[in-house]
Amino acid sequence: MKKANADRSAIMEALEHAGGNRPGVARAVGDQTGIPEADVHGVATFYTLLAKPDVQVRVCQGLSCQLEGAARLLEDARLSGARVEAVSCLGQCDRAPAALDEHLEPVLTAPRGGVLPADPSLPIDLGGPDTSAYSALARAMAMGPDAVIAAIRESGLQGRGGAGFPAHVKWSGVRAGEGPRHLVVNADEGEPGTFKDREVMLRRPHKLLEGIAIAAHTVGADTAWIYIRGEFQPCRRALERALVEAKLDLDVRFVDGHGAYICGEETALLEAMEGRRGMPRLKPPFPTVQGLFGRPTLIHNVETLACVPSIVERGGAWFAGLGRGEPGTKLYCISGHVQRPGVYELPLGVTLDELVEVAGGYVGTPKAFSPGGASSGFLPMAHRDVPLAFKPLAALGSMLGSAGVVVLDDTVDMADAARWGQVFFEDETCGQCAPCRIGCSLQRRAVEDYRAHRDPAHLANVEAVHHEMDEGSICGLGMTASMPLLSAMRHFPEDFA
Amino acid sequence: MTPKITIDGQIVPFEPGETVLDVASRLGHAIPSLCHEPRLKPTGACRMCLVEVQGQRRLQPSCAWKAEDGAVVTTRNDRIDTHRRTLLSMYVADHALDADGLPVDQGGTGNRLRTHVKDLGTGPALEPLTAVRRDRDDSNPYVHFDPASCVVCGACVRYCDEVEAVSAISLIDRGRRTTIGTADQQGLLDSSCELCGGCIAVCPTGAMTEKPALGVPRDPEPTRTTCNFCGVGCQVDIHVRDGRISRVTSPPPGTTVNDGNLCVKGRFAMEFVHHPERLTSPMIRVDGELVPTTWDVALQTAARGLLGVKQRHGADALGFVSSSRCTGEENYLMQKLARAAFGTNNCHQCAAT
Repeated sequence: MKKANADRSAIMEALEHAGGNRPGVARAVGDQTGIPEADVHGVATFYTLLAKPDVQVRVCQGLSCQLEGAARLLEDARLSGARVEAVSCLGQCDRAPAALDEHLEPVLTAPRGGVLPADPSLPIDLGGPDTSAYSALARAMAMGPDAVIAAIRESGLQGRGGAGFPAHVKWSGVRAGEGPRHLVVNADEGEPGTFKDREVMLRRPHKLLEGIAIAAHTVGADTAWIYIRGEFQPCRRALERALVEAKLDLDVRFVDGHGAYICGEETALLEAMEGRRGMPRLKPPFPTVQGLFGRPTLIHNVETLACVPSIVERGGAWFAGLGRGEPGTKLYCISGHVQRPGVYELPLGVTLDELVEVAGGYVGTPKAFSPGGASSGFLPMAHRDVPLAFKPLAALGSMLGSAGVVVLDDTVDMADAARWGQVFFEDETCGQCAPCRIGCSLQRRAVEDYRAHRDPAHLANVEAVHHEMDEGSICGLGMTASMPLLSAMRHFPEDFA
Repeated sequence: MTPKITIDGQIVPFEPGETVLDVASRLGHAIPSLCHEPRLKPTGACRMCLVEVQGQRRLQPSCAWKAEDGAVVTTRNDRIDTHRRTLLSMYVADHALDADGLPVDQGGTGNRLRTHVKDLGTGPALEPLTAVRRDRDDSNPYVHFDPASCVVCGACVRYCDEVEAVSAISLIDRGRRTTIGTADQQGLLDSSCELCGGCIAVCPTGAMTEKPALGVPRDPEPTRTTCNFCGVGCQVDIHVRDGRISRVTSPPPGTTVNDGNLCVKGRFAMEFVHHPERLTSPMIRVDGELVPTTWDVALQTAARGLLGVKQRHGADALGFVSSSRCTGEENYLMQKLARAAFGTNNCHQCAAT
């Protein structure tokens, strides 16, 4: 049991300062913070950046990096004699294959990918100038909270983190709760193939800060917390610089992630912020009712908040009208076998062909695409005309997710692609509930055994195991963790014959 | 009006705060579970107890789902059976098995996973996974932990924190490697552990077992008695095998004063019972040698000695210290003896501070 007044949320930083999980550190941090040493060790061994502090090179094993030779990069790094770790997606898919040095700075030679040229008619406009005028914030304060929430409602803004939940419902919920309230910005971008929030933070930090300020003011949050993945040091620096310039009348704090994909799940993220292992909570209660430190909490993805200033300035109807079938524009990430990977802001609901055209066209003959991260699985080119939006993709048993679109050409064996996805989920499941913990291992083994023997008998139980992972898991990770293998088997039976 | 919930077609009143599992158990509807422990806050981690709640798209953990007025709950249908059997198949693939392919029974608390597999059956036959959980080199004398028969439900960790307020153990590592461990995986003797063995009592699968009784089956009819190590009066169940005490357990939570808990002495310190040097009759010293005698002789010898001290040096030359193993009544008699029979206030009890 923790000592009275012990601050559990302090242990992450204390562990970081102590150099991560080394012998004796758990006891030292326990003594320093009043948190039991076993709990400290439990936390230190959960997060990869803390658990393996002596790693010198972290080589990305995400889908786009695998397509560009991540395996060879990993092998070369190992041969160099450095302490090397294979890690999940680093969010640098536009300049794959990616790696980080021991200071978590990207070691890349290629420049970042493309964005659209400046166009002030776009809500986020990644190519535009990042002004710190904060006119939308002034307008929001003049409008008052009710009018701002009405505008958000009219805009139809859906959460851009992956679930597509209507934003205004969360805002109203948090505002209705009793203070103190919190705003948490989910900047833990880690979905394979996704690097849009990275670009927002690097190119439009003021846009994001303005969205944060408007949201905090509207729902009555006293503190805004930005939970930013530890591998995004350049983004944190950009935001810190902008924050100094902005001179906001708001308490904005940064919390570093320490290497756990699951912390993109909002309740796991809250657990991490409170100094615990990032294991999702049972819902209900939802964070809008009982979130950070038990208080009503508004949690939004970076992109969602970056949409807010222009909605306030130009109205909800204007934003809603920008989309096709679903409201607004969307930051689509595109990587893999295309000419010019990057982040392109297009109407929500464009097709793959339209998106790839903006990205300069396909490389080679396209065979498959993954529309929105590992959990969305793979679709065949027969679906190249489906609108890349929340509902149409869900109808296909896939999802828009974070809109991290990856294109695979016809040289890719879908059993390989499925294996990369299943290895990812086995590495990133938190281990709390059995369907996901055991299921992720079973699915990874199934595809590896199939690849080794080319015997479909190894795939006999994939459907049944997926069914239980979907039915029994606590959170969305487990429910969709079979998608890479399952969708590859469904749509590309020739690669599993 | 009393709130009512419908469970499997039966309309029943419930107390505010009760969970679906509480109400269903009261009705005698068996809902399987592994991580549920009435003394602990529910985590819903084992997923065995999922039920259908009308209006909820997903199955919900009955251990954590609060009963609500007008709610309609189903605890058994084809959907739930498929879920349970497939989940059991997955557990079995990740568990130490015996020669019959069933989850092992280490003898201690038994293995509820084994019982559920027998009662409910399994779904698809899955090849066993290779265990990758870290083990711990631990020389402590009492608590044995086998990561291969652990279902990682965390009941032991929650007990150690929520009931004992010790937190010697935690979930460590992540994903398929997740297991139960200590800080830096040091032995329990080097941790804050008090070796109460509560982790053993709450473990659903016997992954935590009494080290001295490893592999020894439970006594189906243990003897209920009162622990004589202190005055609290904890009830204990003494398991006997071949005329010797094999293990001590607590009666179930909620049934006796100790509410399912024991301390290190009550649970483990029973070696003295069968020890060859244990005194079995009173002894007095004759010419410097201890010799066995009767209680009458022993008590007279002690009385003579004490009265002799009083005569030679006064009553305050005597002091009486009673044992922490004495009950309140015995302690009362001891001070009465000191004050009334010998006339001194020099009396103490070793557990008093």
